[in-house]
Amino acid sequence: MKLRPSKRSQKAALIFMLPAAGLVLNGCAEKEVTAQVFSTPDECAAFYNPPAQCQAAFAEAEQLHPKVAPRYANKQECEADFGAGQCETAPEQHQQGSFFMPMMMGFMAGQMLNRGGLAAGSGQATSQQTAGATGRNTVPTQPLYKSRDDRNTFRTATNTAVASQSGTTTIRPSAVQPKPATLARRGGFGAQAAQRSANRSYGG
Amino acid sequence: MKRHSIAPRPGWQDFASSVGFEFHTIDNERYWDESAYYQFSLAQIEQDLEAPTEELHQMALDLVPDILADERLLRQLAIPERFWDFIANSWRNGEPHLYGRMDFSYNGTGPAKLLELNYDTPTSLFETGFFQWVWLEDQLMRGQLPQGADQFNSVQDKLEQAFAQLPLAQPFYFSSVTESIEDKGTVDYLMDIALQAGLDCRYIQLEQLGDIEGQLVDMAGFAVNGLFKLYPWEFMLQEDFASTILTSKTQWLEPIWKLLLSNKGILPLLWQKYQGHPNLLPAFFADNSQVEPGWVKKPLFSREGANIELVTASGQRLTEDGPYTDSGYIRQALAPLPKFGDSYTLIGSWVVGDSAAGICIREDNSLITKDSSRFLPHIILD
Repeated sequence: MKLRPSKRSQKAALIFMLPAAGLVLNGCAEKEVTAQVFSTPDECAAFYNPPAQCQAAFAEAEQLHPKVAPRYANKQECEADFGAGQCETAPEQHQQGSFFMPMMMGFMAGQMLNRGGLAAGSGQATSQQTAGATGRNTVPTQPLYKSRDDRNTFRTATNTAVASQSGTTTIRPSAVQPKPATLARRGGFGAQAAQRSANRSYGG
Repeated sequence: MKRHSIAPRPGWQDFASSVGFEFHTIDNERYWDESAYYQFSLAQIEQDLEAPTEELHQMALDLVPDILADERLLRQLAIPERFWDFIANSWRNGEPHLYGRMDFSYNGTGPAKLLELNYDTPTSLFETGFFQWVWLEDQLMRGQLPQGADQFNSVQDKLEQAFAQLPLAQPFYFSSVTESIEDKGTVDYLMDIALQAGLDCRYIQLEQLGDIEGQLVDMAGFAVNGLFKLYPWEFMLQEDFASTILTSKTQWLEPIWKLLLSNKGILPLLWQKYQGHPNLLPAFFADNSQVEPGWVKKPLFSREGANIELVTASGQRLTEDGPYTDSGYIRQALAPLPKFGDSYTLIGSWVVGDSAAGICIREDNSLITKDSSRFLPHIILD
């Protein structure tokens, strides 16, 4: 007897809709990668990194700094978080004057610096290049900051602590993705649903 | 096509809750109803439903370039002019689509008649693809259904293939309206399948989407480069972020060109192009005046049976209130839903990618099927 092909799915499994499976979506599979953290390009070079690459990483971070540094409406509020004399004017103006932002206190070099053939970096460099296509799996080179009450810790512009001393550190890339300091407008979708609340679904 | 009573599986409600199907009962009314099922022959499924579904789908797709090339048609469908080029580009670029559902009036004999296309935000997907599938397997295992009983339901397999094969941005975001647990259920199901297909997926409430300089962003401010939205395009085009749609680098599911097909205006356009096709009902653009006996009036944009007016051949007039009073209308010849016992029965036929993927059955005690209409499982058995 010849079996005719079934008209239904071979399986109908669920993963995260099942009660015990909530952890699946929480990004637990993300690998930590290494990055290097320095206060200045000179310090970077002192860690046996090529000075030109240290300069380039520093310049990249410095360029990103005014785009991502947290914004404050005035100097007092900024210094309350980052300490006296640790803030500068941001590029944007508001009606009462300038926005303020903390000064850049260091930088994180995401791409592995070429450390004269040190074995530790070689495998990683390859995997980072591959992952670079997707963007979110690498650590972008970026500025770092230090808060008023914790002068040892390097933090990203979004206040993620990344290291308490200069040199190599390990981090989850998703935790250190720079984003524009600009505040997003929200709530631009969904108004019609609120007006037409007769329905319990907006599908059909 | 027959309707059989059957004992519900003991404890099915607990199982439903454990898989997030909390809306199986709504306001103490059954929504998932397994006290009966429908039986189809394989010929009924393959010849009367599966093949016409794929044919009608292609006919509808063939209409898209016709509409985009004709300003008069775009106006008839009430598509806002500022989006015409954007929609045309979405079609020309071949932006992939995921799924849709067409609804039929069919009683087991004669051609199924197309009532409408739900091609933008179809729901009852989880009930179809997962819950009725499990019902069949359970009832077979318990010996309550004849061995060899099958089901027209490859929805989940086909969705998983689609997620694995479509060129989708990653991470891919899924969103729905916060207050609707039913829509969240549909989106959770799609995310679950996408996850199984290896996609990196995130959920974001529709209202939480942000805009930074014209780019749609998530809660952390990251660009949303791919978004499934269980929310009608025609709503989105009227809301504050309408202009964000034009500027944001975002791949949409469904793509915006499906706005043309989820519009009830597609029904008169199909009739114009394929007049006399056995699966089509005569349909025409109309105004808001009352329809004659034997006709149904539907707004261009409406969901879940809302704002439908129906007059039976004998002159009985049925109306369904609703919030969709702000668009044009069409009228369509009435193909009354068949009656099984006290219930009027509608067949939803799923399309995933461009393939017919299965059916779902809705019952109501009125001729107008609504979001509260009961969902019943089915089997194929010759």
